[in-house]
Amino acid sequence: MHLLNRYKWPALIGIAPALVIYLLFAIVPIILSFYYSVMDWDGFTKMKFVGLANFKEALDDPVFWGALKNNLLVVAASVFGQVPLALFFALLINRKLKFGKVFRTLGFMPVVISTVIISLVWGMMYNSRRGLFNQLLEGIGLGDWAQNWLGDPKWAMFSVCVTIIWQFIGLYLIIFLAALQNIPEEIYEAAKIDGASGLKRTLYITLPMMRNTIMVAVILCISGSLRTFDLIYVMTTGGPGHTTEVLAMYMFDQTFSSTRYGYGSTLSLFIFFFSLALVYLSTLILRKRGD
Amino acid sequence: MSKRLGARALLVVSALMLVLMSACSGNGEKASGNGSGDKIELTFWNIWTDPSPQNKASLKAVKKFEKEHPNIVIKQQNIPHDQFKVKVKTQAAGQQLPDLVQVWPGAELTPLVNGKLIQPLNSILSHWDGLIKKNQLTDYNVDGKQYALPANVTPTSLVYYNKKMLAKAGYKEFPKAYEDFKTLIKNLKKQNVIPITLGNKAQWVLQSSYISMIGDRMTGSDFLPDVLDGKKKFTDPEFVKAVGVIKELADMKAFNDDFNSIDNIQHRDLFVMGDAAMMIDGAWSLGPVLEAMDDDSNLGIALFPSIDGGKGNPEAVSAVTGTGIALNSKLKGEKLKAAKEFLKSFYSKDYYTDLMKADILVPADIDPPKGVSPALKQVSELTGDHIAPVYDATLPVDVTDVINSGLQEVTLGQMTPEQLAKKLQAAVDKEK
Repeated sequence: MHLLNRYKWPALIGIAPALVIYLLFAIVPIILSFYYSVMDWDGFTKMKFVGLANFKEALDDPVFWGALKNNLLVVAASVFGQVPLALFFALLINRKLKFGKVFRTLGFMPVVISTVIISLVWGMMYNSRRGLFNQLLEGIGLGDWAQNWLGDPKWAMFSVCVTIIWQFIGLYLIIFLAALQNIPEEIYEAAKIDGASGLKRTLYITLPMMRNTIMVAVILCISGSLRTFDLIYVMTTGGPGHTTEVLAMYMFDQTFSSTRYGYGSTLSLFIFFFSLALVYLSTLILRKRGD
Repeated sequence: MSKRLGARALLVVSALMLVLMSACSGNGEKASGNGSGDKIELTFWNIWTDPSPQNKASLKAVKKFEKEHPNIVIKQQNIPHDQFKVKVKTQAAGQQLPDLVQVWPGAELTPLVNGKLIQPLNSILSHWDGLIKKNQLTDYNVDGKQYALPANVTPTSLVYYNKKMLAKAGYKEFPKAYEDFKTLIKNLKKQNVIPITLGNKAQWVLQSSYISMIGDRMTGSDFLPDVLDGKKKFTDPEFVKAVGVIKELADMKAFNDDFNSIDNIQHRDLFVMGDAAMMIDGAWSLGPVLEAMDDDSNLGIALFPSIDGGKGNPEAVSAVTGTGIALNSKLKGEKLKAAKEFLKSFYSKDYYTDLMKADILVPADIDPPKGVSPALKQVSELTGDHIAPVYDATLPVDVTDVINSGLQEVTLGQMTPEQLAKKLQAAVDKEK
């Protein structure tokens, strides 16, 4: 006998509150966005139907494409920066290092600190006059390498990406460490008897055993970095010019500070579709490898 | 087994429902409690969060009103400036503005008027005859109707300079002409100090304190209204030249290198610490600078120099009136009466006197109280002659956004002044 068949109503009632809240705050707004996206509306006066004009404007908008490019850069920096580095450190710490626990805690610290504080502190370190990095470079005689890290369009996106990578390494470090500790010792012992060296044991035993965990990390990474907003908002507010603009920020600015609710909704729909496509793509690639 | 599970599930569900329902009814009770009783409650949103002398004076005026009117409660929400503006726009879209709301002139006020969200105050305007200067009311006036009263006049562009550093560079007085000003900058650079400190991370500084002033020097004060009426264009050579002045200043490295990554508080620090010789900033920096500088007599204040070929009055200064409070259009009856009473009590002579003591210029016709700082007197004299419009208080928000980010791109060399002018004109044309 299936539980659900006999007690259908209690189950439904149980689900109802959560379901209603979910529909109201997650699904309905998406549908409403479709409606707003074909309107010209400043939030105060009457809406005006404009058809697909907003979509056309978005496709012609260089800032929008720049923001998309930056978003993809953040995704790339996270996937190819955070995950490999976290994996490297996890393997190191797992080698029964002295003070392993201390390192683990230190590595996890940035995840616990509020993003706003991280942005402010890194903003000071990047400061071109009194910042830590430039003073350090000058101190070791590399003053020529000193840059205006956040104010120079060439370096701004790079600097922001470095902070983003640093912020979330700890999260994946913990996930990987947990996975490493789940690999049975016997396998390593068998490999040792067969004469496998340290590097070979890592390459052929550890990494394959962690495959699934790494995949989960990659997916988390992609979805997390598509949402980036707070860190960049505090560090550069998209500047200089629009060089560090990302989609979510551009959408927010258009909607709430320029009060173009219609255009903002159109942008948010684009974000919605890009996220869907990217997540679909990544599952496709990872599944293929899995078979 | 499964039966027991079901019973348990029901128990949990009903417990949950109970919690939910009691939570709901709790809210309901509170709401009804507000309406009943003799007390009239008015909700009021403002940006008076930090304990600056100006905010303290404003809060004091509210307290005074509550003391004099025990049957009226002013329920305030103090929200930081940037969040406040976003919040008002969002709540206005949902028709959920408070009874009293702080408003800014121009681009911030007009949509609220067009959306019929606030109501005019013309019926009680005569109360301030003789106190508030008539010509200072225009900022809050839309189509002949007055929607709020100003508490302060804020020049957005003053040149603060360090007298000692300028004397070292060979200038006993602040230069009157732009060409001379450029020589000063070159001299200062030779001495290895920052000529002008600038923090344009938030992008409005170049617009509010620079182009509003430099633009007026070049185009004259009628330019912005004319552009909005379609009589003139941003692509006119005068305006392009004005943007060119900002580009020239950036190209000759008159600013600190990191002017696009620090904010306007940090740029003030550079000036106060003596790293920079000049700062172009609004009157809002006067109080903090006076407080932080060791030697007040070392602080000089001047207006931006006149530019050759400019059509504007070289004595003009861009300024905007502020701290207006508007009434929700839904207010009526007792509540409306109470709200009007509040405005009458709030914008009083005492309040304006308190503001002047806090180094704030006021639009009121009153004698300066004793103990007003000489710097404020000087600013008041400098700005007495001719007031020019501020760009973000005059232009629609979309156009302001274009000029804000555009000026930053011009200083970075990512855009030419001509391109910015074209982009601005396109944004204006789209408004129609």
